[in-house]
Amino acid sequence: MFYLKYLSSEILRRWGKTVTVSLGLAIASAIIVLIVSFSQALSLAQSKVLSPLENVGTDMMLTRSVDQENTGELDEAARTEMMSENRITTDLSKLGKPGDDFKMDTFLPGTLLTFESSTTDKLDKGLVADYAQGLIMSVAHQEGKIPEVTAQFETGGETINVEQDIAPMSDEERAAVDAARQKIQQEMKDKGIDPRSQEGRQYERDATNSAMPERFSKMRAQVQTERRTYTQNVGPISTDISTQNLTVAGVQTDKQDIGLILPSQIVEGKYFDGDNQIIVNKAYAQKQSKKVGDKITLSNKEYDIVGLVEPKLYTNTADLYLSLGELQKIAGRENRINLLLIKSTKANSVEEAASKLKGVFTGAKITSSADTAKQVSGSLVSAANLTNRFILLTSVIVILSSFIIVSLLTVASINKRTREIGTLKAIGWSNAEVIRQIVAENLMLGIIGAVFGVILGSLSIFVLNKFDISFSANIENASSGFGMMRRFVEQSAGQTASVDLDVAYSIVVFATGAGVAIIGAVVSGFFAALKASRLRPQVALRNIE
Amino acid sequence: MDIIKVEKLKKIYKQGDKTISAVDDISLNIRDGEFIVIIGPSGSGKSTLLQLIGGLDRPTVGSVQIDGIVSSKANEKKLAQIRREKIGFIFQNFNLIPTLTARENVEAAISRHSAKDSIVAEAKLKIVGLEKRANHIPSLLSGGEQQRVAIARALVNDPGIILADEPTGNLDSRTGEEIMSLLRDLNKKSGKTVILITHSEYAKKFADRVIEIKDGKVI
Repeated sequence: MFYLKYLSSEILRRWGKTVTVSLGLAIASAIIVLIVSFSQALSLAQSKVLSPLENVGTDMMLTRSVDQENTGELDEAARTEMMSENRITTDLSKLGKPGDDFKMDTFLPGTLLTFESSTTDKLDKGLVADYAQGLIMSVAHQEGKIPEVTAQFETGGETINVEQDIAPMSDEERAAVDAARQKIQQEMKDKGIDPRSQEGRQYERDATNSAMPERFSKMRAQVQTERRTYTQNVGPISTDISTQNLTVAGVQTDKQDIGLILPSQIVEGKYFDGDNQIIVNKAYAQKQSKKVGDKITLSNKEYDIVGLVEPKLYTNTADLYLSLGELQKIAGRENRINLLLIKSTKANSVEEAASKLKGVFTGAKITSSADTAKQVSGSLVSAANLTNRFILLTSVIVILSSFIIVSLLTVASINKRTREIGTLKAIGWSNAEVIRQIVAENLMLGIIGAVFGVILGSLSIFVLNKFDISFSANIENASSGFGMMRRFVEQSAGQTASVDLDVAYSIVVFATGAGVAIIGAVVSGFFAALKASRLRPQVALRNIE
Repeated sequence: MDIIKVEKLKKIYKQGDKTISAVDDISLNIRDGEFIVIIGPSGSGKSTLLQLIGGLDRPTVGSVQIDGIVSSKANEKKLAQIRREKIGFIFQNFNLIPTLTARENVEAAISRHSAKDSIVAEAKLKIVGLEKRANHIPSLLSGGEQQRVAIARALVNDPGIILADEPTGNLDSRTGEEIMSLLRDLNKKSGKTVILITHSEYAKKFADRVIEIKDGKVI
């Protein structure tokens, strides 16, 4: 076909123009690909953080938060938790002898009051497709030497002077003594003992003493000493006790795709498959230099680290993960949980389910994805807001400028070909044929530009991913509305999630970029062609001197 | 039989406040098979007359009839068809498409494209003696060769009329002579009506009739 021959000749033999125009289109197309891919990656990263619930297969989270005036409606265990206000009272003397080393873990509910795990029986099966129980506790880990706490007081050794008048002997007593003496003298005479001898004197003394009234041999007196108060100031206990706060979560291990952590989020090692196992948050493990195979002691019990996890439920992460039963046991919270992750039966019934589930117990609080999104701030959100605002503007600018550049290049090329187009018209080409030819040429340039644009776009995405860009997002922990609880448990104030930017190669995006190049070329070609078709054929006869 | 009838043709251009009558009330009848040379100095209006006859421009007043069709009243599409089927144009600057080979340049003018395009084009190139240069692009051809390609292109739809605008103006005299002979042959052997405009007296000797123009009027 002649038209195709003409088309390929124009493309191949005017290679300078072909390269210029198609390169311009390719760059525009690559920029569009890059901008759109980048913003998609951003919003993907953003949605990971903004909808952390979706990361763990749920769309709602049930927790408990109670106003102080409603404490009366709580069950006993929750009331105790609330009253204790997360304070730790430790009687160190009960832990051992002064100077001994001790380690102690105290479990506190943090900001989340617990509730009966049997609450799940009350959930409406029509609204809840699946659920996972969780218990997140703050742990105050204390260790050090037991200090000397007792003060010693020494009493006694005082000299007490007592004076007492003893009543003289009565006549009867005197007569009794005399009778006893006469009796012993008579006995001695009978036995032939000389009363002046040593033995005789002893006999007489013993007899006299036994006859004497009792008050002469034993003194009896009541002495009351003066009342005195000793005051001693005991200074602060000097000791090396250190306190470290961390969070421990209990995970319902029999659920594979719903829960505080999922097997798929294990980045090293494995998920729970036996007893005495603990999974450690990767960030915490790095901070503590722990690795898979090491041991961690919690509540004086050793656990094997079987895996490291990167938890994705950013609003409620923990440093350590145990099986729910194990944590309930060591934390003294048998059959208690403080977090229930719920997947509703229908994605669009979340609001309805949320309002119905609120009545399940006092202080029940439902957090949905929309609520968690509000708790996020940081560079990720700023970047996403920025791109959301400017993505359209930037795209429009790129598309417009590429369109203008291509239009100018096409018009310039048409102007150079004035004589050629006039000649074509003179030899009988219709306007439609002229337009078709120029549009087809630009379509060709657009396709070439699109191909190079896709290549260029892929390369720039590749390079962008090489840079390992990551964004941070600060996430507030779900507040219980019970402010005093924050007093002790500091680290529940919030945390930072870091999300890597992973720019994907999307067919749709590449098609868009290619479309921009092709449509831009065709549209600008069409306008240039319209201008060309209005050329009067007699320009062909004009002589160029 | 008159193949071209020109009646009371006027073409008035406005240039600022002035109006210029490039063609001023010209009437002409040209018979089939005539070799007409229109001669005049530059600015005499001879090119404008040729454009009006060839349907490249429309008259301000008057009419042009080609082969019984009033071309001056035809719409753009019809006019393009008349140019394609009835008329072959030859230009001073040859006006070949620079990116196309000699053969493709000839093919460009074919009114109904078919698989036989290249055979038709090569046959026309043979008429002008250029069949061996069919695959060369214009920049590799001499001026005379380029003008021969242009003549082959003008012949490709077998039109009855050939309009030549100073066809030898950019050629040396020997090559110009060859081109004039070629046109003369086409006129004599194939019976083509040739209308050639020039400012050189030399072309007169090829003409059946010479029309001299000055200031838009036939002298």
